[in-house]
Amino acid sequence: MNNPVITVEGVTKVVAGRRLLDDVSFTIAAQSLVSLIGPNGAGKSTLVKIILGLDEKYTGSVTIGSGQRVQYIPQLVIDDQYQLPMSVYEYISIATNRLYGTKQKTVDFQKALAHVGVSADKLHQTHTSLSGGERQRVAIARALLGDPSILVLDEPLAAVDYASRAGLYALIRHLQQDHKMTVLLVSHDIDSVLPLSDQVLCLNQSLHTDCHPSDFTAKDGQYNQAVHHHC
Amino acid sequence: MELLTYTFVQYAFLGGVLMAVLTGLLGPFVVQSRQSIASDMFAHVALSGIGAALLIGVSPWWGALPALIIVSTLIWWLLNSGTYSPDALAMFFLSGGLALALAFVHVARDTVFSFENYLFGSILTLTTLDVIAMLAATIVVSSLVWFFWYPLLGATQSPRYLVPFTNAPKIVQLLFFWLLAVVVWIGIKTIGGLLIGALLVIPVLTAREWASSFKQLVLLSILVSVMSVTSGLLTALYVDLPPSSLIISMTILLFTLQAIVAAMWRKGAT
Repeated sequence: MNNPVITVEGVTKVVAGRRLLDDVSFTIAAQSLVSLIGPNGAGKSTLVKIILGLDEKYTGSVTIGSGQRVQYIPQLVIDDQYQLPMSVYEYISIATNRLYGTKQKTVDFQKALAHVGVSADKLHQTHTSLSGGERQRVAIARALLGDPSILVLDEPLAAVDYASRAGLYALIRHLQQDHKMTVLLVSHDIDSVLPLSDQVLCLNQSLHTDCHPSDFTAKDGQYNQAVHHHC
Repeated sequence: MELLTYTFVQYAFLGGVLMAVLTGLLGPFVVQSRQSIASDMFAHVALSGIGAALLIGVSPWWGALPALIIVSTLIWWLLNSGTYSPDALAMFFLSGGLALALAFVHVARDTVFSFENYLFGSILTLTTLDVIAMLAATIVVSSLVWFFWYPLLGATQSPRYLVPFTNAPKIVQLLFFWLLAVVVWIGIKTIGGLLIGALLVIPVLTAREWASSFKQLVLLSILVSVMSVTSGLLTALYVDLPPSSLIISMTILLFTLQAIVAAMWRKGAT
């Protein structure tokens, strides 16, 4: 594999005697789109947090290539009725300030929104007034303003209606190629992500498969069954 | 209105407005972080600081500040360890703070002291030094909130905004705890430790329906808070009831009024 930008070696995480991750090793090549799939409780989010340096209680090693700029889009919480009002402008500004190494202007915000297919006049609307799909696009726009070379998305479309998903996956793939980014995509939506992926990681505490999507034998497009078999 | 010419009344209004600005400014961050109970926890911790100050013979109010800063740092560290849930920690420090305070005051029993002033406030007894300290605290807290506005917004978001390979959001969360500690410190002197939580939370609940951005929410919360404090204090000049009780009653009245108006507004819109 050429130019690995993420190298995970022998990562194991044990919590209260329970093995969440067991000797996980793999590499991710530059400018590839990699899907991390697996059943609920397989340790996908735990592994992502370890890769991002947000969880340091593990054994093994994670190496990110030098000079890489990493942005992270966590799972979207859509039905939080207690959320206080926040404008889209404020939501984006949380990530784009000097403390986090990026400083952008309103004009950049509008460009970034247009880039992900959200109208610029939404910038001063309340964030919660947007649909799930729009909110996820705004989250992607916010991450892109950090000019990432690696973008990590954890279940990006879990809270998005089914009709919006195809467009969003196409957008993620388009942006990955356009910005020459490495994308690590954690997903349950196996049927949708497999055709887009350059590499598939099947995780169920340990890594069961690290392969090309074509290695999965899909019968009538039923990738789920194939993946279930592999993972 | 002759009462307004008295220095202690002027100090009460000045201290009250400063407290209202601080609670209105920080309240939205507190509610957004789902840690409204934290102000109550901090207030009880402050009582243990007051008790410790009595033991070593320093001014009780000033003794509360280091206790608040030290314990808020400890709470932040424990929360980030991921071992204990926030509500369990709240109860630990809430009850523990009170128990320690009782023990300290008991040991220092030669001192004539009433906890009531700090539980329910003593806004009509503010001294020049108290008001200067409040003014300085207001300037420091407001400046830090203004400078770290967006990082604070991310650190108090639910779920919290995370940035790969940096502890900066965690440090901002610590800053938030310290700011809250200072606001509680002002609160125990003015409206009281048991009531400061109401002034942090109720104005936010009153304003949230009418704001379309967080900045608007903060400005409206400050407005509601200042209106509650000034109207509560004015009423206290003519009605024989504790000022703290009247101030909180005003916040509840304003909340109820806006809820009625909002319901009518929604009904008219449909």
